Amino acid sequence: MSKFWVIFRREYAQVVKKKSFVVGIILTPLSMIGLMIVPAFLATRAATDPETLVIVDQSQQELGQRFAESLAEYTLDDGRSYYDIQNTLVVEPGDDERMRDLQDSLNAAINDKQIKYYVVFKPLAQHHPSDSVFMVSNTDNLRTQKRFENKISYLLSTLRLGESEVNLPVDSVLALTRQIELTVRDAKGASIPFMVKYLSAFVFVGIIMGMILGYGQQVMRSVIDEKNSRIMEVLVSSVSPFQLMLGKVLGLGAATMTQVAIWVVLGLGLYALRGSVAMDESIGRIIFNPAIVIFFVLFLTSGYVLYSTIFALLGSIVTSEKEAASVVAPISLILMLPFILGIHVIQEPNSTLSIVLSMIPLLTPTLMQMRVAFVAPSLTDYSIFSGMIGQATLGLVLVILTSIMFVWIASRVFRVGILMYGKRATLPEIMRWIRHK
Amino acid sequence: MQLRLDRIRKEYGDKVAVNDLSLEVPEGVIYGVIGPNGAGKTTTIRMIMNITAPDSGRVLIDGRPPDGSFLNRVGYLPEERGLYKKMTVSEVLTYLAELKGYPASKARADMVPWLERVNLAEYQNSKVEELSKGMAQKLQFVSTILHQPDLLILDEIFSGLDPLNMELLKDIMMEQKRAGRTILFSTHVMEQAEKLCDHVCMIASGNKVIDGRLGDVKAQFGRNCIHLEIEGDGGFIRALPGVKDVLEFNNYQELALEDGADSQAILRELVGRVKVLRFDVIEPSLYDIFIDMARIDPSQLVADPEGGSHV
Repeated sequence: MSKFWVIFRREYAQVVKKKSFVVGIILTPLSMIGLMIVPAFLATRAATDPETLVIVDQSQQELGQRFAESLAEYTLDDGRSYYDIQNTLVVEPGDDERMRDLQDSLNAAINDKQIKYYVVFKPLAQHHPSDSVFMVSNTDNLRTQKRFENKISYLLSTLRLGESEVNLPVDSVLALTRQIELTVRDAKGASIPFMVKYLSAFVFVGIIMGMILGYGQQVMRSVIDEKNSRIMEVLVSSVSPFQLMLGKVLGLGAATMTQVAIWVVLGLGLYALRGSVAMDESIGRIIFNPAIVIFFVLFLTSGYVLYSTIFALLGSIVTSEKEAASVVAPISLILMLPFILGIHVIQEPNSTLSIVLSMIPLLTPTLMQMRVAFVAPSLTDYSIFSGMIGQATLGLVLVILTSIMFVWIASRVFRVGILMYGKRATLPEIMRWIRHK
Repeated sequence: MQLRLDRIRKEYGDKVAVNDLSLEVPEGVIYGVIGPNGAGKTTTIRMIMNITAPDSGRVLIDGRPPDGSFLNRVGYLPEERGLYKKMTVSEVLTYLAELKGYPASKARADMVPWLERVNLAEYQNSKVEELSKGMAQKLQFVSTILHQPDLLILDEIFSGLDPLNMELLKDIMMEQKRAGRTILFSTHVMEQAEKLCDHVCMIASGNKVIDGRLGDVKAQFGRNCIHLEIEGDGGFIRALPGVKDVLEFNNYQELALEDGADSQAILRELVGRVKVLRFDVIEPSLYDIFIDMARIDPSQLVADPEGGSHV
């Protein structure tokens, strides 16, 4: 086993000594924090300046005026009105020519960013509620859209109730049917915005995927390089292929772990400073959640070993980097799958489909971590035999078993494949190598 | 360390690369495996190193199948040379020695005289990619013997070397032999084998053609002859005992001798009767023998598994 350490040390040193390693240590967490915090910050950020709008009213029911008044309840943090209504224009229903001119100039104002929105109440709005009001804007501001919908629905309902035969006080009906805004809280009573969970789940997966692809391919390149430089024969006349491959995979894996360990230490430092650093509390709940961090490290490690044995195997079959590119593509696709399947997994992290998908060993490291990142902050049950943690543990065991199987297959193919120069092995040949004693 | 191959065989598809080859390398000799390109030399060596598994037959080290320590006790120079280009000379030598179970500190100390010996001392901290091809070859040779192996296996050791460096490596091989090491090398250039080896094994198309001590092989397969220049009437020479034939040339004669003829007796006869200007016992070269032997269809040759072979 001492030769294993010799190989392990060399492979480790080869990576750690490189400048790119240091750069990766610094850049990856920065981009991770950037990816997590910036969009979340932007998404939840309140406007600092009033949003400007113009209201055009052809309804003859003073809807424009009443809409403008209803918006007064929204204020900025500094007490100013949220919406700066520049004008409320009343246009006669039949005056199409003026309406056209008006729309032209308002569109121009929007393009010039003089105003942000304009809202048009068309004639007889109450009889054609679905298309009797429209808003023009250059931006899709979900918050404003929702507010406007709310207020306009209220105004129209008031109108319709007043005109109907229902003999009830309008105010009390409206009070009874008032729309509410639903706040989502988890079992711990905490509320983490969906956007934050969504982004952090993808960031974790992105890091796992990136590191597996990056370092895994390094294993492959290392094998191809030794084949091409013809040193392989010297190596296999000194150590067993199994030792060689294990040393390579784990040596490079240790370099990966060094990087992660440095991040964890940095993270702990950040945790110690969390009071003094302005950071969204909900993000802290994710990146400082022990289950998420522990499984992140475990899935990164096991996923790395799983994939790098596949890469070592590919490296011993192909003869050049160019050829390798074509066989790497399908592996990259498998690693990309979580980004496609993830849409479902994130919407329904505990659906049967999500559970089954995340138990497929090649997908487990990414999809399971995605689920853990999504579900764990709200967990009350941390048993490793049930629930989310139980499934993640089972997934991990499956990944480890699959890795052992792959190491076994790979060292057999490796044994023969590494001495194939100039000719790529065919599938029947590979099958023969695996069976060969 | 003593090495024996017992009817090892390797086929690639329909082609028999090595056909039930047996040979025995005694301890402390330089053993040359010679044969043209594609004869099966490298395949044989790769089977000894267990890089390629034989289809049948056994490799025996000191009478037993190789055990775990075998790899540490052997130094192998493959036909396909190669070193880590990005490592320094010193790093490569230390790493490869460590892979042979040789301590790094000893490797670092031992490499200094070796590098001086092969004129690479000043490159100790240079990267391998900065070396010329010939220097890289010498470096690889040093990496093969740095861990003091008992058995050296050198595949096409002289290929790509200039005459000066060839001599250098020959000297080192002779020293290693005197130090009790066993050396097996292959080459397709017979002249080199002839100067160096104690034992020789010729293979052609995967079959053993000849095998034995160099002198024996020459005696057995050679047509000894004498290159002669005399003054006086040499008409009696044809009748001397041991002389099979005389070829007359302008100013010299070539005597073909019978098997086992005593050239010294012939010289004594000559000295009494004519003035001998030149008396040159010419041994047949391995090349001549090989050309002769390889012309025979190798499948008609019967190889004796105990070593030695006969037609």
